[in-house]
Amino acid sequence: MTPEIGVFALALALGLALVQSILPMIGAARNNALWMGSAKATAIGQTVFIGLSFAALMRSFVVSDFTVRNVAENSHSLKPMLFKIAGTWGSHEGSLLLWVLILAAFGGGVAVFGRNIPDALKARTLAAQAWISVGFLSFLLLTSNPFERLYPPPIDGNDLNPLLQDVGLAMHPPLLYVGYVGFSIVFSFAVAALIEGRVDAAWARWVRPWTLAAWISLTAGIALGSWWAYYELGWGGWWFWDPVENVSFMPWLLGTALLHSAIVTEKRGAFKSWTILLAILTFSLSLLGTFIVRSGLLTSVHAFAVDPERGVYILALLGLSIGGSLTLYAWRAPEMESGGVFAPVSREAGLLINNLLLGVATATVLFGTLYPLFLEAITGDKISVGPPFFNASFVPIMLPLVFVMGFGPFLSWKRADLRGVLQRLWGLLLLSFAAAAIVWYLTTGGPLLAVLSLAMAFWLFLATLREWAGRIRLLEAPFAESVRRANGLPRASYGMTVAHLGLAIAMFGFIGSSAWKSEQVVFVSPGNEIGIAGFDVRFDGVERRQGPNYLADVGTLVVTRDGKPVTTLFPERRFYPVAESNTTESAIRSTLAGDLYASLAEPAADDAKPGAWTLRILYEPLVNFIWLGSAMLVLGGGLSLSDRRLRIGAPRRSTAAPANATPAE
Amino acid sequence: MILWLSFAMLVALAVAFLIVSIFTSRTAPAASSRDDGALSIHLDQLAEIEADLGRGVISEAEAAAATGEVKRRMLAIARRSDKTSGTPSRAGRGPLILAAVLVPIAAGGFYSLLGSPETPSLAFADRAEEQAQATEIAGLAEKLRIRLESDESGGPAEGWGLLGQTYMSMGRVEDAVQAFERGSEQPDASSAIFSRLAEALIRMDSGIVTPAAQNAIDRAIELDPNNPAAVFYNSIALDQQGRSGEGYDNLLAALQSADGFAPWMPSFIDQANRLAERSGRPPVDVASFAPMAREAVPGPSAEDVAAAGEMSEEDRSAFIRSMVGRLASRLEEEPDDLDGWLRLANAYTVLGERSKAIDAYEQAIVLAEKLPESDPRRAQVQSGLDRLGAGGD
Repeated sequence: MTPEIGVFALALALGLALVQSILPMIGAARNNALWMGSAKATAIGQTVFIGLSFAALMRSFVVSDFTVRNVAENSHSLKPMLFKIAGTWGSHEGSLLLWVLILAAFGGGVAVFGRNIPDALKARTLAAQAWISVGFLSFLLLTSNPFERLYPPPIDGNDLNPLLQDVGLAMHPPLLYVGYVGFSIVFSFAVAALIEGRVDAAWARWVRPWTLAAWISLTAGIALGSWWAYYELGWGGWWFWDPVENVSFMPWLLGTALLHSAIVTEKRGAFKSWTILLAILTFSLSLLGTFIVRSGLLTSVHAFAVDPERGVYILALLGLSIGGSLTLYAWRAPEMESGGVFAPVSREAGLLINNLLLGVATATVLFGTLYPLFLEAITGDKISVGPPFFNASFVPIMLPLVFVMGFGPFLSWKRADLRGVLQRLWGLLLLSFAAAAIVWYLTTGGPLLAVLSLAMAFWLFLATLREWAGRIRLLEAPFAESVRRANGLPRASYGMTVAHLGLAIAMFGFIGSSAWKSEQVVFVSPGNEIGIAGFDVRFDGVERRQGPNYLADVGTLVVTRDGKPVTTLFPERRFYPVAESNTTESAIRSTLAGDLYASLAEPAADDAKPGAWTLRILYEPLVNFIWLGSAMLVLGGGLSLSDRRLRIGAPRRSTAAPANATPAE
Repeated sequence: MILWLSFAMLVALAVAFLIVSIFTSRTAPAASSRDDGALSIHLDQLAEIEADLGRGVISEAEAAAATGEVKRRMLAIARRSDKTSGTPSRAGRGPLILAAVLVPIAAGGFYSLLGSPETPSLAFADRAEEQAQATEIAGLAEKLRIRLESDESGGPAEGWGLLGQTYMSMGRVEDAVQAFERGSEQPDASSAIFSRLAEALIRMDSGIVTPAAQNAIDRAIELDPNNPAAVFYNSIALDQQGRSGEGYDNLLAALQSADGFAPWMPSFIDQANRLAERSGRPPVDVASFAPMAREAVPGPSAEDVAAAGEMSEEDRSAFIRSMVGRLASRLEEEPDDLDGWLRLANAYTVLGERSKAIDAYEQAIVLAEKLPESDPRRAQVQSGLDRLGAGGD
């Protein structure tokens, strides 16, 4: 019965979405409060029904109801409970259901929390959000029904993939989805503004919390994904420029640009049309990502051509929403009043450079991701565009960005005093290059790009701290005065400081773990010693152990440094008989200075050398800075989101005068 | 019943979401306007500039310029606001009520396309009996495999065939292929075992006829040109070679030469119609060969049961009983399956369970009465009962 309730709830949600996509839009045009107001209830209703449907699917997974095809194909009665639950969004159908749930939840969120948003704008935004809902709910129901039944049911389920049984991976898609589906609401706000024909400071401020919420989740989702790859895959890498990673990274890059250009719209009334375009493009990239991942295009262009039903439907949705919104943009954007003027050296100009560079970086990633697909479609050749391309093209674009990032916060709006800023900062710039050069000298010559990157990371770190110190007049005023000022700074300003510091710290991690990584893949017999990055690692052999549903070969590695014991590592290689597959469980000694990472690969052929194994040992300096920095990005976003100014909005006419803004921030 | 009650509750909830604003809008505060919102944000910006000035982040001149700009923007809004004011209307309940009627209808329509209200939910924990049965069959199949493998003469082909059939019904297609292959290597391999091997191979390669499958088909036809399964799979093979018309002709020839109704006819007709579309031949009518025919249900047939003769007495009867038991319990749930009852009656006859066989035939009689006079199955029921000496009541 439960699965049938799931289908019916989805059908009702589609009905509500249809009403919501039409009535509020007409209501806003005719100034009808009742029709505009109906969007609130339908948006909440949609969330409730899709939530119910999602709960129904989750229950089917939890009790292993194999009369649901989706459960039979993607679960197994022996899976641990956590992974049965995670199985809900593990399949194509389930993940799409999660997709529409998040879509509806953002609409419901605006309906419930958007009290400060004027009625007409809210009604139009929710209607635009419902257009997307209608598209994806019908896609789900018509081509990917998650509740398709199977009777008689098979005795047990089909899937027990041990590699995917990992907490990090289980939690990764929901976060990533909250991020990139979250940009849908920003897209809807942009469409609503275009229809209304008005973009101003107020609009930018109303949209900001939603942009931030989506950006925070996307940041967390990407960071978690890379953390999972690092721990579970056993290669010691944290980013592979894999198409699946790229499609989540592109909305992040453009979303970051959007976050910054919206500031200019808010503070200066400029960049209006550009901000709208970014909002449209960011969500378009999310849709493109969904299409690439969900159409099967990645596995092979050929596989897509054989079973194109789903792919063609998403492609049509993609064309309709991107084409439609860009047409609307082309038609309406020129009518917008242009905003404040600014000089070539100003905060606006700095943010413009930030936007341009982020845009170019996105285009680079997009090109690298799509090129192999086009090439395969046209010539049939399969190529892969990997790290060498991205390192050579993406990194050089990011370095000037980071350089400008150090300056930006010092520049004042409209017209900045470049000489004054330079006077304050040239020392820091010099210091950064000196620090980078010293590190270069100490490590006897890293590659040029790494040293440059390192200089930029130091620069960003120091300049951000200097900017904060300047704001609170640290060492210039009495200490008590500085503390008072530090307390008085708005949360959004702390958000920026923390996020920028976070990026600098993550950069140390990127550089350290790629430029100064030591790696050894060796053939070891018990008693052998390997020296790596100052550690001595002794291999004491491998022992076979029985796990709950696997057999494990556990290696013992005794690590010493200068003769003193450091730790003992136990890398494992597991064999899961049911799934007939192997996984590696790396052993990692993790410190802030770097990770010593060991994983067991193949055993040697028995007759050659009994007891010998292939061992992979890496030392990755500073690698944990990546996740520390990512956490700071998320924290910075959260601080900014909690700024009280984001809650100021349209007062109800019946309430008191709006002038309750206190100057004491 | 509970299902429809739950649906009714969901519909009520959806209707509530659609019409709630009719009732709340009367008490809701007046609508907020875009301009008021923009003004309050600009006021906040003025306060911010003042605070920045107080902290010394910006100079007096910068603050004055910024304040001037914000005030200009506020003025622009106020000017426009004069032009476009108007109290919003609260009329227009009609569309909402219409939506409250149409949404449940539309959802019901969608559900009728996608839902399967008759399919029960079965939690894994509630299926202990079925699991025990599956384990039992798996155990019996394993015993049979060991017996056949330890047979010095290589084991009888029919034994391997039965093992393969069992694996097929368990969904272990690769094991089935192996069993059929072993059977087909035996000197007493029949046409049936080759056609089953072909079927398993085709299923393993998701519908593609590989050269190995083609070999098996050819051998099956060589041994028995009238083996329906071989003709059927050969038509698939011919279709995949672009010779759809030839496959169609073969199917029709087999249908025409058949003597009365046979369970394989419906699937032949479906396949012939598929090929007809591709080769431009006329479609065939189901009724002209087999009126009221149902699609044959796969599963062990009486032949399979008979093939168990090569097993030890004990194994064989356990094996047969588990197969027959499964058929019987399925028929309890789907009592309208005439072919199923006929097979069950036949199986009980072979097992010597006369009263159960008669019961099964009696179920079949009820269904057969709905068939036209000419349907061969009517005669089949009668002759079965006659054989048991219980005909004519």
